[in-house]
Amino acid sequence: MTVSTLEAGERGAAHAPPGARARARPWLYLSPLVVALLVWVYGPLVFTAVLSFMSWNLTDTHLSWLGTANYARLVDGRDFPRAARNTLVFAAVLLPFATVVPMSLAIALWKRPGRVSSVYRALLFLPVVLAPVAMAITWQFLLDPLSGLVNVITGRLGLGTHNWLGDPATALYAVGFITAAKVVALNVLLFGASLASLDRGLLEAAALDGATEWEITRHLVLPHLRRTIVLLGMLSLVVVWPWIFANVAVLTQGGPDGATDNVYYRLFTYAFTFFDAGTASAAAVFITTALAVVLGIGLLLTGRRRRDFA
Amino acid sequence: MSTPDQPTRAGRRRRSLTAAIVLVLATVLAAVSACGDSSTGGSTTAGSTSAADQKITIRFLSYNYGTPDIGGQGTQALIDAFEKAHPNITIKPQGVAVADVLTRLQTDTAAGSPPDVAQIGWSKMAAAYDLLPIVPVQSIPAKADWDAAMAGFNQRLLSAVAVNGQVKAIPYTISIPVIFYNADLFRKAGLDPTRPPTTIDEVKADALAIKDKASAQGAYFAVVDSGKSDYLTQSLIASNGGREVGADGQPAFDQPPAVAALTAMQDLTTSGAQPAITATNAVAAFSAGKLGMLVGSTAVAVSLAKAAKGRFELRSTGFPSFGGRPAAPTYSGAGLAVLAKDEAHQQAAWEFIRFLTSPEGFTIITSKIGYLPLRPSLATDPKYLATYFATNKLLSPALAQLDHVSPYQSFSGKRASQAVVALQDDAVEPIVLRGAKPASTLSSVAGQVRGVLAQK
Repeated sequence: MTVSTLEAGERGAAHAPPGARARARPWLYLSPLVVALLVWVYGPLVFTAVLSFMSWNLTDTHLSWLGTANYARLVDGRDFPRAARNTLVFAAVLLPFATVVPMSLAIALWKRPGRVSSVYRALLFLPVVLAPVAMAITWQFLLDPLSGLVNVITGRLGLGTHNWLGDPATALYAVGFITAAKVVALNVLLFGASLASLDRGLLEAAALDGATEWEITRHLVLPHLRRTIVLLGMLSLVVVWPWIFANVAVLTQGGPDGATDNVYYRLFTYAFTFFDAGTASAAAVFITTALAVVLGIGLLLTGRRRRDFA
Repeated sequence: MSTPDQPTRAGRRRRSLTAAIVLVLATVLAAVSACGDSSTGGSTTAGSTSAADQKITIRFLSYNYGTPDIGGQGTQALIDAFEKAHPNITIKPQGVAVADVLTRLQTDTAAGSPPDVAQIGWSKMAAAYDLLPIVPVQSIPAKADWDAAMAGFNQRLLSAVAVNGQVKAIPYTISIPVIFYNADLFRKAGLDPTRPPTTIDEVKADALAIKDKASAQGAYFAVVDSGKSDYLTQSLIASNGGREVGADGQPAFDQPPAVAALTAMQDLTTSGAQPAITATNAVAAFSAGKLGMLVGSTAVAVSLAKAAKGRFELRSTGFPSFGGRPAAPTYSGAGLAVLAKDEAHQQAAWEFIRFLTSPEGFTIITSKIGYLPLRPSLATDPKYLATYFATNKLLSPALAQLDHVSPYQSFSGKRASQAVVALQDDAVEPIVLRGAKPASTLSSVAGQVRGVLAQK
């Protein structure tokens, strides 16, 4: 298309009612993003969905059609249901560390501004910038069952020693607790950002009216943070898995007895340990669908609340 | 009616439209040029070396290359020595994490540009034969050339790795399991470090003595491997006269010799002779001088020697046997496989492999990285490794057992690695560390593995 044609089109569009060309114009502006989304997000999503019905070892040029056999393998087998259950437990363990704990810390820091609070905030944020694998290796030393610092301390306190990562009863909670440090660190910062928009004058006014510290927190600060709590709760449960993955890969490799296996580590195992792209894709479809349902419910709830407030 | 700002708005619209078109074109061009780059790269490598007498570049994928430790330094020394001896062949090394070797080779092959030579772990070799376009190394040179190059190589190992009588990948960086022991803890426990245990029963007795009298942990068989490798499981079962995998590629680990071998391992744990920890924790404890014996691969010999220096006296002895039956450990480590596509690159790859497995090559591999010299006569040859072995005794017991190694066995079919993980995770670890009943657990997991192997 030449410039003169474009100019003619512009002039025509300025005087004529919007036609097909005018309706198409926004799509032209959107096309770089749409192309990128198709190539990197929705294309692979469709490819994954198709692959979930096939058998493929990642290199073979011949893909064979299996129908729903990959899904049946996931559902009938022992590993994926166990990984799904563990994933829910991980989420339940981490939820308070994504909401209540960082919110309490952020409120405490916000209420006492000053140099000490800044130092605390910096120290709390430190785990976020540390490389996940480096952190996992550090915890490997700390939780060593024979000479780790944690057992040395519990031993000296008379609490006895324990193989935290080697016992199926405690391994998931140990990995969850290690991951919680990062979640708390990030969310303290985000709750702090939300609190920054709260007018301190309101608090002073409430205090002058005789409100106690708890009443101020309960009736002023918490309502202000309500949407942030929902958002960070949901967001954390979506973004936390790469951190859990690194800890599981370094510390337990899904064990002992599958206690720390989760759907993400299982997907990786299917794809890159067993080279079974079909089953891995079926697992990916399960995960994506489950996440879509959870996020959909979350959006419905927050949407309804917004309408109730309106 | 036109107003003064209309031309400006129209101009802005035009500029936005032009920018959008340019952006779309740029995206398309970038994608096209990216595809063009990869295809050009592929053809250059192949085309630059059409004739054997021309300069040629071959790509070498190695998990030792590029690491900051002795493995990386040793591999670089091997490449430097080869390029000096063969000025017309250039080696382009590529590093890779050990756990990602097969994944990387899969993706490189899918992209149409596999490396010419690759270092592949033996536990992944059966899968590699199944998945990758490997050119059997023995098929590349003429028979006389092959025979001349392999004269002096450990023939037991060569026949152990052969598939239907043909060596497809050649043993390169090989380890076999031995007992490493802390001579100081032996003395503290009233044991004679010059008479280390030779059977599993003796290991147990000495371990309990160390635990009682030297205030340290006794012994640890690194059978619960964090990499989920089964080489030590196979070594134990084979030493007890059994097989992990039957001749048909199906599980045989539910048979009495295998059950007895793992029962012996469980007995070590329940008696207190062995701590119920993972291999990673055990290596840390041994390095810290808090574990009397560590039964594991000679691959860790150099790092253990480094950890022991100035702390305790480190010694080693052969893999223990079950009673009067001779020990039959299997090997771990890696072999070299050729994936070169054309004749010229295959010949250059063979030249490189011939050098790596020559007396000069193994002298560097042993002295700089610590793997076994697979030409046993080098250990006593003053021209090669006699001086090294005079001062480094840790590898000698393994070298003596090289003639008794049993072949590494692989499950059949494309789900072989899944079967190994099931065996290690669902049977070996619960039996050895957590007291699961050996016979019923192995029987149940064997059934599970048969089901896995039968899946499409």
